[in-house]
Amino acid sequence: MIHFALKNWRQNIIYIGFVLIFLLFALTLNDRGFLNPNNLLNIFRQTAMIAIMAIAMTYVLSAGEIDLSVGAVAGLTTVTVALTISVAGPLAGVAVGLLTGIAVGVCNGWLTTRVGIPSFLTTLAMMGIAKGVAMWISGTSAVPILSRSFAWFFGGGSLGIVPILFFWILIFGVWGHIQLKHTGFGRRVLATGGGETAARYTGINVKNVKFQVLVVSGTAAAIAGMLYAGRLQSGRFQLGEGDELSVIAAAVLGGTSLFGGKGTVIGTIVGALMIGMINNGLILMGLEYSQQLIARGGIIILAVALSQRQ
Amino acid sequence: MHFGSLVALDNVDLSVRAGEVHALLGGNGAGKSTLLKILNGVHQQTAGDVAVFGTPFQGNSPELARAAGVAMNFQEMSLIPSLTVAQNIFLNHEFIRNGLINEAVAVERARDLFEQLNVEVDPRMLVSDLSPGQRQLTEIAKSISHDARVWILDEPSTALSVTDVERLFESIRAHTAQGNAVIYVSHRMDEIAKISDRLTILRDGRKVTTAETRATSVSQMIEHIVGKKARDFSNLSLERKTLGAPVLELDALQDTYKLRPVSLSIREGEVVGLAGLLGSGRSSLIKLIAGVDAKASGSIRVAGKPVEFRGPADAMAEGIAHVPESRATQGIIGSHATSDNLTLSILDRISVRGLIRQQRVRALSQKQIDDFNIKVESQSTPVLNLSGGNQQKVVLGKNFGIQPKILLLDEPTAGIDIGAKTEIIDAIHSKASEGMAVLVASSELSELAVACDRFLILADGVICEDVSSDDIAAENPSGVNMVPFIQRVLEEKIQDANKTLKTESFGEKQ
Repeated sequence: MIHFALKNWRQNIIYIGFVLIFLLFALTLNDRGFLNPNNLLNIFRQTAMIAIMAIAMTYVLSAGEIDLSVGAVAGLTTVTVALTISVAGPLAGVAVGLLTGIAVGVCNGWLTTRVGIPSFLTTLAMMGIAKGVAMWISGTSAVPILSRSFAWFFGGGSLGIVPILFFWILIFGVWGHIQLKHTGFGRRVLATGGGETAARYTGINVKNVKFQVLVVSGTAAAIAGMLYAGRLQSGRFQLGEGDELSVIAAAVLGGTSLFGGKGTVIGTIVGALMIGMINNGLILMGLEYSQQLIARGGIIILAVALSQRQ
Repeated sequence: MHFGSLVALDNVDLSVRAGEVHALLGGNGAGKSTLLKILNGVHQQTAGDVAVFGTPFQGNSPELARAAGVAMNFQEMSLIPSLTVAQNIFLNHEFIRNGLINEAVAVERARDLFEQLNVEVDPRMLVSDLSPGQRQLTEIAKSISHDARVWILDEPSTALSVTDVERLFESIRAHTAQGNAVIYVSHRMDEIAKISDRLTILRDGRKVTTAETRATSVSQMIEHIVGKKARDFSNLSLERKTLGAPVLELDALQDTYKLRPVSLSIREGEVVGLAGLLGSGRSSLIKLIAGVDAKASGSIRVAGKPVEFRGPADAMAEGIAHVPESRATQGIIGSHATSDNLTLSILDRISVRGLIRQQRVRALSQKQIDDFNIKVESQSTPVLNLSGGNQQKVVLGKNFGIQPKILLLDEPTAGIDIGAKTEIIDAIHSKASEGMAVLVASSELSELAVACDRFLILADGVICEDVSSDDIAAENPSGVNMVPFIQRVLEEKIQDANKTLKTESFGEKQ
């Protein structure tokens, strides 16, 4: 019984940690406006892109793979979307944005499952390629987006007081959770990562599963890129840079195993919110950027260590 | 069927009749696994045809095989540890309603399957939390969940208790009674004799014979499998040995989980068997002595000297070698060369000033390969490519390399053919006669009966009885069929021990 409770405690550390850190910030940073509704909504705004990429990353990690290219793909998408909108309007922009992500995902999937390069290397290389292409086609300068409807729908707008980004998290969260826990596709993803040989012997096409999750991840990165572009009304290759670390940390904090076979979308979202909250709190504390990086790294290591220990 | 230059299976005819249990026998590397994999669609044959109930079946996917009505259990490799029993059983053919998986139906159907098998396993448990026996039953339930007409059962009973095997046999008979067929693969001759109607024996990729089981004696089977007149264990004469001083002494040793305090003493040259059901604490005790698990209390003395183990390395330094239960994960590093595996335990002996000398690696590995008669193409062949029996010999060779005083064996012959089994038991005997103390845990009582001088009966973490082979033998003065006799006595003792235990714990609850 004690053993069982302890095990559950480990599993639920993310939720406990989230509440503890929230309370800590609420007590110590109240006079600096942490609990101000606008600040809390800001946390959502700053977290949405990470959360959406992390939901897809939950699938990738659960299938026993990894995608390091998400941040760079998001950056590339801001550029392709911005460039397309400037010549052909917002709808074409969205289409090109999605195609950007799908194309990178297909490349990643093809190289990983058909050529047989480990996804760690495939996506590491793709990270550089995506960034290079983004710098090249934008001439390393920011591309403004003048379409108001695009900016509203992708990140800038709000319904009443609630920012539109909140709904993006909500839709992706519900869809991602149901897909992973209650459909055959999700079950195949978890099985592939949990025991590849076993899954293959059960008739699951594990290569296809891996291909699919990498395409999902590329697409999610493109959507996150569009949200960046909409929120900042411009395309820049620097957007999303370094996000892959926060994305993977969010998933792992939420209880997704780096070794595959285990993952929850709800945990991932809370993990992403926790990282966003920590960033927000550190800024309110008045820490310098250099100090923020150190503090964030330390907190993430601590939280992951607690959640991963057997 | 070809693998590289090796022909794994050469021109084999096999015909299984509706309504029969057809046993498939053969040593390691005889081609059994390859044949099964073709039948199950994992491999495709390079020549020849397969037909199921008259319909030709071709294709290299397990799904096609399933569609043709063939279902096969896999030996401990088709379950995903992070999913539940029910999720595993219906993996890739889930019950979908409105696009979503209906978990409740899966749990219900899984219950039905276990009911059909007459066993109890909770479908909602995670596979990683199951005992090996429950896993094996889940494998079987999974394979029969497709309503297949042909069941292929590959070593389905290695982790099952005597009662569960009996129940499995009942459901096999019920299945064939409906005009279906079962192909039964096992290394256990007594099971083959009990359940099968006909049998086919393979050797070196060729069919040796197909015969009525009733008309074939066990020694004939063994002869066909190994290809030469085999020594018949059933009339082993038990010779008296002179035992040395106590070399391993346990005093009230206890782990944090399974075992109640265990005290025992093993002398030089003595072979002691741990007999009990799965989960009785056999492996727990072995792991404790091997330094794999930490003890909670009690003490261990090696050659009279108290020792403390913080890990397997400490135990090895005291001369304790451990052949673990799970060969694949605990015994070998599959992708590494045979020679690297054989010398992994003696890196200091193959190194000169910190650098590994290939010459020494080769010389020492060759000695082990010769000593244990390991069949391998070359020293650099990955151990993964060896048959199960040869892999186990590599594990033994690796352990004998440290020249141990005490040898701990956990299921040393699981999934190994009768030829390799004999060689391994011979190796144990010869090492014991040189003064090594051996503690062996096994679910195969016939093997314990042959190998051991003394038996400890374990039930639920308690040593219930300590009985010598001589004492049991004294009850059978005729001396005929000694090994089966000892086996039966052990079986009874295990069942008695578990019965007593159940009554006791029932009393406690009242």
